[in-house]
Amino acid sequence: MKLKEIERTAVQAWSPANNHPIYLATGTSAQQLDASFSTNANLEIFEVDFRDPSLDMKQKGALPASNRFHKLMWGNFGNGSAEPSGVLVGGGDNGVLTMYSVQRILTSKGDPVIGQTEKHSGPVRALDFNPFQSNLLASGANDSEIFIWDLNNFSVPMTPGTKSQPHEDISVVSWNRQVQHILSSAHPSGKAVVWDLRKNEPIIKVSDHSNRMHCSGMAWHPEVATQLVLSSEDDRLPVIQIWDLRFATSPLSQLEGHTRGVLAVSWCQADPELLLSSAKDNRILCWNPSMGEVVYELPIRSQWCFDVQWCPRNPSVFSAATFDGWINVYSVMGGNLEAQQRTQADKISSSFNNLDPFGTGQSLPPLQVPEQVTQTTLIPPLKKPPKWIRRPVGVSFAFGGKLITFGHTKAPGQQMQQTYPHQVFISQVTTETEFLLRSKELQMALQSGNLLDYCQGKIQTAKLPVDENLWNFLKVNLEQDSRTKLLKLLGYSKEDLQKKITSCLSNGIPDKQPLPEAGDKNAGPDQLLMNSSDDVAAVSSSSAFFDNLIPQNMSTLEIPVTEDTDGLISQALLLGNFEGAVELCMRAERFADAIILAIAGGDKLLKETQKRYFAKQKTNLSVLLSSIVQQNWQDIVCMCDLQSWKEALAILLTYSKHEDYTQLCDMLGARLESEGDAALSNDACLCYISSGNVERLVECWVKNHETSSPLALQVQAL
Amino acid sequence: LLPQVSVINTVDTSHEDMIHDAQMDYYGTRLATCSSDRSVKIFDVRNGGQILIADLRGHEGPVWQVAWAHPMYGNILASCSYDRKVIIWKEENGTWEKTYEYTGHDSSVNSVCWAPHDYGLILACGSSDGAISLLSYTGDGQWEVKKISNAHTIGCNAVSWAPAVVPGSLIEQPSGQKPNYIKRFASGGCDNLVKIWKEEEGQWKEEQKLEAHSDWVRDVAWAPSIGLPTSTIASCSQDGRVFIWTCDDASGNSWSPKLLHKFNDVVWHVSWSITANILAVSGGDNKVTLWKESVDGLWACISDVNKGQGGVSAVTEGQQNEQ
Repeated sequence: MKLKEIERTAVQAWSPANNHPIYLATGTSAQQLDASFSTNANLEIFEVDFRDPSLDMKQKGALPASNRFHKLMWGNFGNGSAEPSGVLVGGGDNGVLTMYSVQRILTSKGDPVIGQTEKHSGPVRALDFNPFQSNLLASGANDSEIFIWDLNNFSVPMTPGTKSQPHEDISVVSWNRQVQHILSSAHPSGKAVVWDLRKNEPIIKVSDHSNRMHCSGMAWHPEVATQLVLSSEDDRLPVIQIWDLRFATSPLSQLEGHTRGVLAVSWCQADPELLLSSAKDNRILCWNPSMGEVVYELPIRSQWCFDVQWCPRNPSVFSAATFDGWINVYSVMGGNLEAQQRTQADKISSSFNNLDPFGTGQSLPPLQVPEQVTQTTLIPPLKKPPKWIRRPVGVSFAFGGKLITFGHTKAPGQQMQQTYPHQVFISQVTTETEFLLRSKELQMALQSGNLLDYCQGKIQTAKLPVDENLWNFLKVNLEQDSRTKLLKLLGYSKEDLQKKITSCLSNGIPDKQPLPEAGDKNAGPDQLLMNSSDDVAAVSSSSAFFDNLIPQNMSTLEIPVTEDTDGLISQALLLGNFEGAVELCMRAERFADAIILAIAGGDKLLKETQKRYFAKQKTNLSVLLSSIVQQNWQDIVCMCDLQSWKEALAILLTYSKHEDYTQLCDMLGARLESEGDAALSNDACLCYISSGNVERLVECWVKNHETSSPLALQVQAL
Repeated sequence: LLPQVSVINTVDTSHEDMIHDAQMDYYGTRLATCSSDRSVKIFDVRNGGQILIADLRGHEGPVWQVAWAHPMYGNILASCSYDRKVIIWKEENGTWEKTYEYTGHDSSVNSVCWAPHDYGLILACGSSDGAISLLSYTGDGQWEVKKISNAHTIGCNAVSWAPAVVPGSLIEQPSGQKPNYIKRFASGGCDNLVKIWKEEEGQWKEEQKLEAHSDWVRDVAWAPSIGLPTSTIASCSQDGRVFIWTCDDASGNSWSPKLLHKFNDVVWHVSWSITANILAVSGGDNKVTLWKESVDGLWACISDVNKGQGGVSAVTEGQQNEQ
């Protein structure tokens, strides 16, 4: 498929692979004249823009040249700094070698010629840039003359060694693609010489014994360092020979397909199995050199192509220069020429400049160009799929976060023998990895019921103390006797505290410490905060200042846990050791605290405490209190002053339980009856009434009132 | 949190040459593979198994890609090859057979992609002859062909359909009317361009030309959509660059590129996860990397998938894109 064309009788050079966009440089060809017999020379640069479907190439720079060109080369020298687009080197007549700055040609700023020498004799037909060192250029001319130029020092060339004998023209020079100090040169006689620049001498000469080879082209294998091809221009032997320097006595194989002499060869750098050749039979062929077969053929053209070149950047593209004055750019991927026709239609359409050239107010319909069936020549693509189209790796996502991957494994140093693994991997991609893992763990724990281990695991992996505590608590919560363990986690062990309390009570330590005064409430927390540090004084004085600033009602609850009474009490309370706490309170004569605590501590403790309290307090009221509190009504009944019998009865009425009441009333009554005087005996009756003890009432009544009275009868009747 | 990638199934395809594509069907139960050995194979991979269901022969060259049609149309697989053919395979009564063969391209057919099922059974095919073909099933075993000639000079390497979701439909109030879907797809080619094509009155027109790559575009992937206003396309290239293209306006006219990363080697393939929040990138260095956009819009590599080891290898955390 033809992509681009330009009418030039010129030698050509592609921009290097790393250059973007792709350019094609043309220089007026030296040994051809057209009918005008003009000897002007031009150097031009065209942009090869495949986004534009037309066959045209945009000229990006041009300059008249002093010499016509035998050979043009585009190198990377200075690329990236001094010469962002590299340099062009042209070989001309009379040994002239000219170096141009591509940047200056493109921008038309400054003198584009940045170097020129005339060291060679005769036309400079052979040029090549070293693929490893962009500053090294090899050139060849007449008289077996080969020079190696360091572009940093363009004036003084080096030689690869003594000139080969007999003297003859150099048609091609070419650097080895693998070993940077190896250079080869080819001569029209059919001989090729391989030079080692380190040894500064030719190391091997390759020539066919038939002596009919007439070397027009030469190329090193892109990947195998010891192989090269030579093409023969001789019509009697229109072949391409493949040589391997390891067996340099005869060619490895011969590619035979052209019917007349081969004019040029170009080996594809992107796929060593593609070798282009053009010949005097007007054909351009692409070979698979290893198989010896033609994999692509461009249809017969009317004229010879004297030069073919693969595009270094776009591997399916090559250019061909013909003697009839055209440079064409083709793709080896096949296709037909339909695009070209459409382009012509577009061209005609656009030549009208606007869509309404006649001002009719209606835009013209698109031009219908009659289809020329003869032109839709179908060019089949390469028989062999080129390397660059074969996707070696791949990845694709699938439902459920699955990832499908496959690919080659490139074993280092095994460039020729790649293995193609036949596995495809299906992977699970989980983005919220940790989350899912945690969820899974929890699910498992819940299912198995083994929550303690789960918590234990969490405790061990916890990073923050807070987390660890949390998991400890959760774990303990799930255990038996969780409360005790929780307390232990809090730092309160019942056993330890009991010991403390015991020792405290026995040593009487807390007694030595003064109890906090009512007006000194902050002292406790302060002491806690200050602990026993040396600079207590200074700090406490300043902190006291702040304490005073804080309103009393703003102060927060601080639970003292020190070793004094307060501390011990609170610790005992934290652990629910009411007995101990009460004991401490009693000891400190904080009866109110003791009683309050005892209430919380349960009946038994309360009674105990009350008993002890009353045992300590010996006032009238306290007996009453004691009796009431302890519900010891009998004491009251038995011990009360008989004059206070009313009060005693009131107490009984108020407090005593129903079943005891009768008995207690009777007891009171009995006391009044037996111990008291007559008045009191009467009162005894009231007691009996209260108790509902009719018999005793009547008895008492009768005793007090000798005469029978209706009341007695009435009462009895009742 | 970094993702975990663990191999759950290694399918030995027994292909005799390089594998070029492997695709799971809609439900993730079957795997289709294709190779330079000219064959297409289908495996049942349920429950970690790998049972060969079909070994499809019919292509006469390397088979580049396979694509599963939506299951509502049955079990249908398309394949494309260097032999310039597109073959549509169909399972009938448990047997896979060729149901249609398209030979309308003049060069290697490099990519096939089925349109969203809402549009019917439509297959887009990109070829090295520069054209893109659209094959629509019209019933009774008939296929209608539309061809975009010279879509990409020198060749089209990839095609990918836009989801059948109107951008922004998630946010905007449903009007009650059937949404007015516009068929679109993206393509990438040897002219270094990503192009967006749009159907207007039954004709396919070039809607956008996205220029950022400096070498062949190897793959394009239009991201699935849940109806957010932004449309997203990923493209990768021979130049080692992966670009994320986004378009926020409803008309679909202003696309802007963001460089995801510049790799040292050719990038062959990009693939979005179903939820479109992870992009998998496969390069010539034989590495698969997963990328995710952070809240601040930066793309970060979240995982390196080492195929040889079949699991997660060293994870390059916070490997930021090099703008």
